[in-house]
Amino acid sequence: MLAAAQLWQPFHEFVFMRRALMGGLVLACSTAPLGVFLILRRMSLIGDAVAHGILPGAALGFWFAGLSLPALTLGGLGAGLSMAGLAAWITRRTGLREDASLAAIYPISLASGVLILGIAGKRLDLLHLLFGSALAVDGPTLTGMLWVSGVSLIAMVLIYKALLLDTLDPLFLQTVSRLGPLAHGVFLTLVVLNLVIGFQAIGALMVVGLMMLPAAASRFWSRRLPVLIAIAAMLGCLSVWLGLLLSFYYSLPSGPSIVLVAGGFYVLSVVFGPVHGLLCRPPLLTSQ
Amino acid sequence: MIRCQALRWGAAGQPLTPPVDFELLKGSLTAVIGANGSGKSSLLKVIAGLQKPLTGKVFLDVSRKGSLSFLPQQQHLDRQFPISLQELVAAGFWGSKQSPELRSQRLNTAMEDWCLSGLEQRPLMALSGGELQRALLARLSLAQTPLLLLDEPHAALDELGQSLLWKHIHQWHAEGRTMVVVCHDLSAVRQHIPHTLLIKSSGCLFGSSTELIHPQPQTQVA
Repeated sequence: MLAAAQLWQPFHEFVFMRRALMGGLVLACSTAPLGVFLILRRMSLIGDAVAHGILPGAALGFWFAGLSLPALTLGGLGAGLSMAGLAAWITRRTGLREDASLAAIYPISLASGVLILGIAGKRLDLLHLLFGSALAVDGPTLTGMLWVSGVSLIAMVLIYKALLLDTLDPLFLQTVSRLGPLAHGVFLTLVVLNLVIGFQAIGALMVVGLMMLPAAASRFWSRRLPVLIAIAAMLGCLSVWLGLLLSFYYSLPSGPSIVLVAGGFYVLSVVFGPVHGLLCRPPLLTSQ
Repeated sequence: MIRCQALRWGAAGQPLTPPVDFELLKGSLTAVIGANGSGKSSLLKVIAGLQKPLTGKVFLDVSRKGSLSFLPQQQHLDRQFPISLQELVAAGFWGSKQSPELRSQRLNTAMEDWCLSGLEQRPLMALSGGELQRALLARLSLAQTPLLLLDEPHAALDELGQSLLWKHIHQWHAEGRTMVVVCHDLSAVRQHIPHTLLIKSSGCLFGSSTELIHPQPQTQVA
């Protein structure tokens, strides 16, 4: 059992733990609304596809500039956005379903990424890119994460209403405003941006877990959108904190620890959650 | 208000009718009738600018954004969406420049008008089809646009809801707003709506509802 002091002590003592915690917490806050909206838009698997898709860009960035944060970020952002854009374009021009078109593009993207890393001489560990290590968050990466989280949260506040209506009733929004496609575009850009900055910290695949698991879990706790987002952010933050502690005390890799704690919250929510959880009958709906 | 010139619509390469010309005057109330799949809903979407016509043009006297309201069929909505009835209805204020006090007052009036009082905080998934339909109509009524396009507004409404609907349609008509209503209930069209556009694959007919729709005999033959 962890005593109360032990819950804070590693972060007090070690700078790398404090940075990892800080970065993880801000990332959990900015990915929470993104994850909730991805689920509402029935795009839950897009995060996974994009996370694979950013690899060739990051690999190219590494090839040309070495392990530099701006190069990796710009490369990943370019690859992620062009992959999402290309998939959307194919869907619009040919009528292929969007998930099929993404599923077809991302192996191409992933394979090219692995190939480029091979040509570049394997100096960058592929496992590090995919699974990352929160403990390797340095000063500049942390600054980058703070910026991305801040920008995402502000942008989400600005597009919230339009995105909500575009998700619930796109036909209605189309008749009253032209903001629908813009909100969708900004939203997808934010998803890619958060995945790209997250893959430096806890790894491309792990950040998808941090984005989707708390969002999926929150659905079992409320029926109101702002509450869902708040719960998802809270569960995400708790997962980061407990995951880092687990990884510290039991010498486990940090990324998987964080995601598995989030997974634990998800399973608990499925079983005990008051909104259609396994153990709870749906609440009686009587008119007041 | 609405002028269609050599208009054809439907899926690419498969127009639903020969080219159609018609004009609906400002303040008119017109029903669109026709068999399933004849293209009634698509016609509304083409007029609303939500779908491109295959050929021809639709001219509106008003701008498409903000001056027309479109009531879609409710199966478009995700009933699991975590939003309350009141939030759904209040979306009708999109782009409105009214003061918060006036808005909340109008919102309350609309809730009462459509018999939704007491349901404000209900989540969408706990609403019946009729309640949801009345909520969509209440949202529509908040926007106060000069042109209303209603796709099966009577769907899912019980007798009380239908009489409420026709009361409001007559009221909007009296206010001089232009309305196009897709409707399956031919006797209701005959009774409430002066003009009818009948869509058939061989062509469209436009005329007075009482002439286009013959009263149906109420007897059934075994």
